[in-house]
Amino acid sequence: MLYVTCSMKIMENISPLIKYFIAQGVPLDTVILLLMLPIVVTLIAFFRQVIGIKAFGIYTPAIVTFAFLAVPQLRYGVLIFIVVILVGMLLRFALKGLRILYLPRVAITLSIIALSILMLLSFGGAMQRTGLAAVSIFPILIMITIVEKFVAAQIEKGNRAALILAVETLVISLVGYYLASWPALIKGIVAFPWLILITIPINIFLGKWDGLRLNEYFRFREVLKNLK
Amino acid sequence: MFEIFKNGNKLLGMNARNLDYIRPYNRKKAKKLADDKILSKRMLKKGGIPVPKLLAKIRTAEELENFDWSSLPSSFALKPNRGYGGGGIMVVYGRKKNSGKVLVSDENEIPLPVWIKADGSKVTVEDIKSHILNILDGAFSLANMPDIAFFEERLTLLKLFKPYAYKGIPDIRVIVFNHIPVMAMLRLPTKESGGKANLQQGGIGVGIDLASGVTTTAVLGKGKIIDYVPGTRMLLSGIRIPYWKDILLLAVKAQEVSGMGFLGADVAIDRERGPVFLEINARPGLAIQVANLSGLKERLERIKGLKIKTAARGVRVGRDLFGGEVEEEVEEISGRKVIGTVEKVKFIGKNEATIEIEAKIDTGAMSTSIDIDMARQLGYGDVLDFFEKIELPNGFSREEGPEILKGLKNKYKHSDLYDIDLIYASNGVSFRPKVKMTFVMDNFAINANVNIAARDELKYAAIIGRRNLGKFLIDVNKVS
Repeated sequence: MLYVTCSMKIMENISPLIKYFIAQGVPLDTVILLLMLPIVVTLIAFFRQVIGIKAFGIYTPAIVTFAFLAVPQLRYGVLIFIVVILVGMLLRFALKGLRILYLPRVAITLSIIALSILMLLSFGGAMQRTGLAAVSIFPILIMITIVEKFVAAQIEKGNRAALILAVETLVISLVGYYLASWPALIKGIVAFPWLILITIPINIFLGKWDGLRLNEYFRFREVLKNLK
Repeated sequence: MFEIFKNGNKLLGMNARNLDYIRPYNRKKAKKLADDKILSKRMLKKGGIPVPKLLAKIRTAEELENFDWSSLPSSFALKPNRGYGGGGIMVVYGRKKNSGKVLVSDENEIPLPVWIKADGSKVTVEDIKSHILNILDGAFSLANMPDIAFFEERLTLLKLFKPYAYKGIPDIRVIVFNHIPVMAMLRLPTKESGGKANLQQGGIGVGIDLASGVTTTAVLGKGKIIDYVPGTRMLLSGIRIPYWKDILLLAVKAQEVSGMGFLGADVAIDRERGPVFLEINARPGLAIQVANLSGLKERLERIKGLKIKTAARGVRVGRDLFGGEVEEEVEEISGRKVIGTVEKVKFIGKNEATIEIEAKIDTGAMSTSIDIDMARQLGYGDVLDFFEKIELPNGFSREEGPEILKGLKNKYKHSDLYDIDLIYASNGVSFRPKVKMTFVMDNFAINANVNIAARDELKYAAIIGRRNLGKFLIDVNKVS
């Protein structure tokens, strides 16, 4: 995995605290991932409060970020994400005529998506894309289950809004992915793990930020023009 | 760039709404009340606020199975108790006669009713059942909590709104803060919104001037500025909302009942019942700012901490602070009546003869002038005959005019002939007889000297000139 290869180069500049964790048998990957979590979720909070990109709450983009980190090649992760959302969207139309209740409908959706992913993986194998089939099961499962968020958004806010939220989730997860796999940041965290405590005051600031979000300047552009 | 950020300060964003207004002013208990439609309906009714009648509620699947479908009227609205953003609402407009399906019970066959939706599609009992099951399951409630479904009286559309609204009932959203109405908009359902008035669903929001209740600018959906109802030439500005003061009063009263400091009040107007309170909203949307092209934050900050004792006082403060110029107010301040460019005028002639016609208000003319035929009907035939016999000179220059007029005035006298006017027009100079007469306009009686001219080729048989308009202000937009 990503961090092991990265961390080999930075072993010499490792904080005593991290060394202690490793000595206790906690894998280095786990240590770095857990320390990365506050940074990723702070990023998501920043996207929501300051930029105005909503995504599906905080859990989904965070978990998708880590799913991306766990696949050997990012593009396969993105591919699986897109397939899950597309199949989820198609199934909404297909299942509309059935008029069935929410949970059974989500269950059917999840089942068919699982089968679609299985087909995708084997198709990838057939095309000599072994990297796709080699994706481990947990990131796949994580991405399949986010379809529930998607279906719920479809029902509550409509197809268009749900699709926008899905794209926003993808964007945030990608930014999260690049942030969390940025060598300089990993190096920094390994050397100074205390640094992640800065996210707490940052979040307090974000939690008290009552200015307009960036996208609201766009949303209210006509009003702003008129206020002059 | 700096300007934009400075102006951004006047707008209420999502962050400020949640942090500075909903959080401190809407206590949890009050928010719960707003989120529970049946409960808030009961509370509002207790507080003397008219609400749509609750027809029936369904709490469990069992109740649904035992529900007597024939008890429902031909039109109703089906709603999730904890729905939000207008989701999960089903409205039917009429019942179809002799539906196909028949419920067979032991003794007899009961035909199951079939209803018709806004778009003309049929709704069977099966459809309604499945919709209710979804509601009970929490498909439309916040956080998918199990919910209650209820049937509610469907309000009837006001004639005024008919050309503007697609199927559904328009409603008026009023933001109330600290017992003061702060901003308002008319919400119109569209084809896209499926007959629902929520902007999130694609409805139209039309800003309303708080003082006068007249619509101003409009937004489609969440941000598109429009002038007309899409696909029509129905102008969205200038609609005068009836019962305006009552609507604002209801909104403020609802705030008092709910115990919330900051809310969105939704009021509809029923054809028979007048203003009816629909619901209170603990998290009002921000698109109202686009509809009004104006910022909420600026207004909210101005009234923070004001002590308002009664609802009526709050309404007055809101209208004074945030409304545009109102006609009645102008009249109060200036002591003069506001009239349009065309007004109904009653002319009183000799022997109590009266004629009431539409006259043009003509600030380009000095004197009031009426048509010859009309003057004859008013009893001035005699003086007109006298005037016609006079040999009027023509072909003189502008400079000679006054001198000739003076001569004419001295030479010809008649008891009704008050004066002779010399009129310079583009086609030359002419003389007109002038008589004394009274006319009544907008309940004002005015003694005027009116000249008489051939106006049979003109659109208006009478014009009111400057000399007689001293008691009035003219509003070119006013239609009488």
